[in-house]
Amino acid sequence: MNTELHESFQRLIDESLAGAISAEKERFLREHLDTCAPCQEYLSASNRVIASLEGFSFEVNPTLNARVLASLRLRAQQLQAAQPGRRRWLLISLAAVVLTMGGSFVDLQFGRLIAAVFDIQRTQVQRGLLAFWIVPSLCALLLFPLLPLLSKAGTHREERIL
Amino acid sequence: MESDTQQIALGLRQGDVTVLEALVEQYQYRLVRYLIYLLGRRDGVDDLVQETWLRVLERGGSYNGQSRFEPWLFRVARNIAVDAIRKRPMFSLDSNEDDGVRSAPASDKPSPFTLAVRTEDADRLAHSLQTLEPVYREVLVLRFQEDLTLQEISAIVGAPVSAVASRIYRGLATLRPQFQGETA
Repeated sequence: MNTELHESFQRLIDESLAGAISAEKERFLREHLDTCAPCQEYLSASNRVIASLEGFSFEVNPTLNARVLASLRLRAQQLQAAQPGRRRWLLISLAAVVLTMGGSFVDLQFGRLIAAVFDIQRTQVQRGLLAFWIVPSLCALLLFPLLPLLSKAGTHREERIL
Repeated sequence: MESDTQQIALGLRQGDVTVLEALVEQYQYRLVRYLIYLLGRRDGVDDLVQETWLRVLERGGSYNGQSRFEPWLFRVARNIAVDAIRKRPMFSLDSNEDDGVRSAPASDKPSPFTLAVRTEDADRLAHSLQTLEPVYREVLVLRFQEDLTLQEISAIVGAPVSAVASRIYRGLATLRPQFQGETA
């Protein structure tokens, strides 16, 4: 049998070991191996290389697990402290709703009274309440529930560079 | 009933430390071994292992549980190692595809492979493994110790499946002469 033929079968042996061979080629290879001593030796040497890898046993530092677990617990606590929970977001949103409604209520009930006390026009009272109470409350109402989504988008961006 | 990988994914999404503790117990040795094969050294591996698990905690939400956990973990570890290599360029993962072998950096310390030898055959391979290019060592451990598929290895190393297969052939070709010409 010529060298080129052996080389082509030895290539198939490599493919078989790497898990890159079709079932048909594998069967073809097995038939050849039954009758070819050089290819059997090639396969045997390859298998010994692979088996020899099992003969290495690396020592893991006995304190490594404890060190890793301690750092994980600490980091988990830090992450938890840095990320407000769902309940906290709900409370912030609720506060924003109450503030918005409160501003409107103050304007309706006491707008005229405030205008009289400070000797200003009713529209000025309304503008003041709008600028310093209702608009900030509405902003909080709209933006705070979106923050978790924004933080999630940030996480996805990180995943791409993981 | 949820599969193991889905339970891991759920635990990581929730940042569940109990799940992480179980993963550390289960995968620590394999992670250490992978990093030693990748870097060809023992120094600094513990720090990289710790960084890897911290990143698993921080970005565990990106593991979807649809595939095995090991390839995802090794990919995280590899990225950490590559970042470390960029900062300390004394070791490189670059491959010279022309010869596949290069000299190990001169050092008085015995190589991690020499220190890990437990059998006679392993002893014969230790030096060749140390001098083998990291990219070839890496695919050998992933294929033959971790039993990963070419597709999984391809996802870890960020190279096409055909390139991964070639690296396996080259790695085997470099080590095989140690056992050729004798009866097994």
